[in-house]
Amino acid sequence: MPPALSFTQVRRRFGRLAVLGGVSASVAAGEVLLVTGRNGSGKSTLLCCLAGLLAPDSGTIDYSEDGAPMDAAARRRRIGLVAPDLAFYGELTAAENLAFFCRLRGIGRERGDELLRRLELPPDRPAAALSSGMRQRLRWAWALLHRPRLLLLDEPFQNLDAAGVAIVRRLLAEHLAPSPAGGGPSAPAPPGLAVVANPVPLEIGSVAATLDLGA
Amino acid sequence: MFAKEWRSELRTRYALNTLALFAVNTLVVVSASLGPLGAAPGRSSETLPVLLWLILLFAAAAGLPRAFVHEEETQTATALRLAATPSALFCGKLAYALTLLAALEALVAPLFLAVMNLDVARPGLLAATLAAGGFGLAAGSTLVAAIIAQARGKGTLFAVLSFPVLLPLLLLAVELTRGAFAGGGSQGQGGQGGAGVVLMQLLLYDGAVTTAGLMLFPVVWNP
Amino acid sequence: MKKRTAFAAFRWLLWLWLAAVIVGAFAYAPLAAKFIGQSSRILFFHVPMAWAAFIAFIAAGVSSLRYLFGNRPRRDPRHDRAARAAIELGLLFGLLATVTGAVWSRIMWGAWWNWDPRQTSIVMALIFNGAYLALRDAVEDAEKRARLAAAYAALGLVVTPFFFFVVPRITFSLHPEPVINASGQVDMNPRMLQVLLASGAGFTALFFWLHDLRTRVLAVADQALEAAAAGAPRAGIVGAWGSAPPHITEPGTAADPATASQRTSN
Repeated sequence: MPPALSFTQVRRRFGRLAVLGGVSASVAAGEVLLVTGRNGSGKSTLLCCLAGLLAPDSGTIDYSEDGAPMDAAARRRRIGLVAPDLAFYGELTAAENLAFFCRLRGIGRERGDELLRRLELPPDRPAAALSSGMRQRLRWAWALLHRPRLLLLDEPFQNLDAAGVAIVRRLLAEHLAPSPAGGGPSAPAPPGLAVVANPVPLEIGSVAATLDLGA
Repeated sequence: MFAKEWRSELRTRYALNTLALFAVNTLVVVSASLGPLGAAPGRSSETLPVLLWLILLFAAAAGLPRAFVHEEETQTATALRLAATPSALFCGKLAYALTLLAALEALVAPLFLAVMNLDVARPGLLAATLAAGGFGLAAGSTLVAAIIAQARGKGTLFAVLSFPVLLPLLLLAVELTRGAFAGGGSQGQGGQGGAGVVLMQLLLYDGAVTTAGLMLFPVVWNP
Repeated sequence: MKKRTAFAAFRWLLWLWLAAVIVGAFAYAPLAAKFIGQSSRILFFHVPMAWAAFIAFIAAGVSSLRYLFGNRPRRDPRHDRAARAAIELGLLFGLLATVTGAVWSRIMWGAWWNWDPRQTSIVMALIFNGAYLALRDAVEDAEKRARLAAAYAALGLVVTPFFFFVVPRITFSLHPEPVINASGQVDMNPRMLQVLLASGAGFTALFFWLHDLRTRVLAVADQALEAAAAGAPRAGIVGAWGSAPPHITEPGTAADPATASQRTSN
């Protein structure tokens, strides 16, 4: 069964400030939910709630893969997140960072190397010395390591040059509609879904719905 | 996880340097102000164990919280929350703290003995105490570090929170160390089985704190 | 409202009971043989205070565990409020117990403090409670604050038994303490025992009553905060000690501005 995400009446406040005031939407496999709104409208907060990094004050978040519902703890491990405040270990190189996270997730480091190549990252430079565009590419590589079914993308094209944007668009398209690997015996993975947050609407394609928090 | 910690550490050498410098500094201050206590050996075996453990405690408070605080400050914590299982993370950080503390003890204890001109009557007991006490110190500190890493006022808050938690460990370790220095039955035991019983209690404490850490860490780390 | 009258009745009963205990402590019970002058009277208050502090500590730990591990996925904030109230009261009773103990110690042995095992353990409990509250102050987000504080209280619960095993073994003081062991041998005058137990019961009831009050105050404060977040005008209630508790709606329902003024007038 393909993965599916839906959330209802999600609220979150910080102290006296109501950041999210009851938002609801649903996303099906192969679709993108676009979340727009001005700065401070709660886009990042919503993505953090969906990722399981923040507990909403009220409301429900239902995510299931293969028909099995997943709670916040399971969601945390399964989703892929690209967000501006995601950071990696500055002392380690990009390759070492990815290898470390591969080890943590229990997958072989070839996956890390593969993504390193795909995103054209310099393998031997310490992460602290990477440009902001390269750092964004590293975030994308990190998010895709474990082949997640749900991608949560907060300002996904931030700092990327035209070449970077092209690579990343292709990755997103593959995520949403994976094609069978040439002649491979295994069935193609089910289409993934994505929630993209950006201050202004993005041309992504496959946008099934737009949620505007900016009122 | 553990390997990564050490690789990062060796590149920057931050914690090792800080800990070592802090410990040696404290040791120098203590010994210089006390002067050679060889003149009153009876008294010294009472008070010097306290000083040894205080030095270890303060050095640990200076160096161990960094394990979690650093992650939060450099914002790598988010990546860890999404990629690692809490138990793996806790065990990795705990192992790191243990080895760091072991290195610290290996540095401080011989220096301490040398500077204070102490003869150790029961070196085996001393080694066991350092091991068991160090374990508890690392375990308790790791959990408290995880808690304060997500709060403000990290340095002082760590001291405030960890002191009550670590006090039983300190009391037990000091008692055992006294016995190790003085030899024979340790004072105040009143013939109740002596050091063995106290060591058991210390190990019990270690087990309790480690178990609590394993059970509470997931709750502390994730919402 | 039946609940209100029940509370009022309980309150009167509690005051009467405690008044009787005070009278009994001074008029009914005889003086203990080994004590200087009237100082044994302090026993009837000092011991129950320490007992109440102990109960408070346990209550906080239990509430914290219930908060953390009960009722997933949405944790129940009532347990967190209960834990916090218990810690605050534990601090209060513990402070009182320490002060009365120090006064007693001064009268009996001329020293305010001598690191008697029981004195040490009550001080450690006080420091724990203070640390808990310091931790709460250091966290801004409400959910994180509740979670971290509860974890710390649970850790405290795990470590505390070691105080009771460990501390008595380490004898810092040189002379034994003739502390009356109320739970052990009943070598106490029966009248004294009666007053002591009555006082213990009274202080326990006092703790639970104050705890209930305090959790209600905290609930109202939380509710006001949620109302402010939801954009409704604040109910404007900050509860005061000793006032009858207003009728509380469950948190999560929007505060109704129409009845807010009615509530404040209680």
